Amino acid sequence: MKNDVRERRERADLSQANLAAAVGVTRQTINAIERDRYDPSIELAFALARYFDCRIEDLFDPELDGESSDS
Amino acid sequence: MTRTVTSEPDRLSKIRLYRRLMFGCILGGVAAALGLRHLGYPVLGEAIYWVGILGFFAVWQGTSLTLFDERDVELERRASHLTLLVVGAVGVLTASAARMLPRFTDYAPPSELTGAFYAFAFLFGTFGVVYLWLRYRP
Repeated sequence: MKNDVRERRERADLSQANLAAAVGVTRQTINAIERDRYDPSIELAFALARYFDCRIEDLFDPELDGESSDS
Repeated sequence: MTRTVTSEPDRLSKIRLYRRLMFGCILGGVAAALGLRHLGYPVLGEAIYWVGILGFFAVWQGTSLTLFDERDVELERRASHLTLLVVGAVGVLTASAARMLPRFTDYAPPSELTGAFYAFAFLFGTFGVVYLWLRYRP
């Protein structure tokens, strides 16, 4: 699932480790999310959205088949 | 958004240390047990083996740090699924071969193979029970 966790994290001048600690996961998990290699659970997605003070759909783009994320 | 997290390197190095300790306990315990068994001290080897097992659980449960998170669980789930698929495929093929080979060739499967089939059956039986429990639990 596409996401802009990396952009938001870098804008907030945070390391992966710091973000990981803030939302209660390992640094590797944040790294995997940023590289689109792991889709977080609903709980973690909410925690990340809460941390960046945005909505989940602002952070994650599910790229549904046949749907454009811009529409 | 600008929350700061303190002592992060410390937390990460602790997590790394505890995870290494956990698996070190198991590996050390098994290696020591095998070595001692080989040297003629099977009971001592068994005791060290149990120290390793208990050490693993002591480190795991004794820390407030999150040593494994949801991604670890997901990786474990996928690895288990893949393992079952591989073991299942190997089991089905081997069982069929073990039944048919003696009929068409002079080959007689070793008796150990029967034990392995029981182990396969037990593994998949357990899987079935756990699956049904998870599916139908209230």
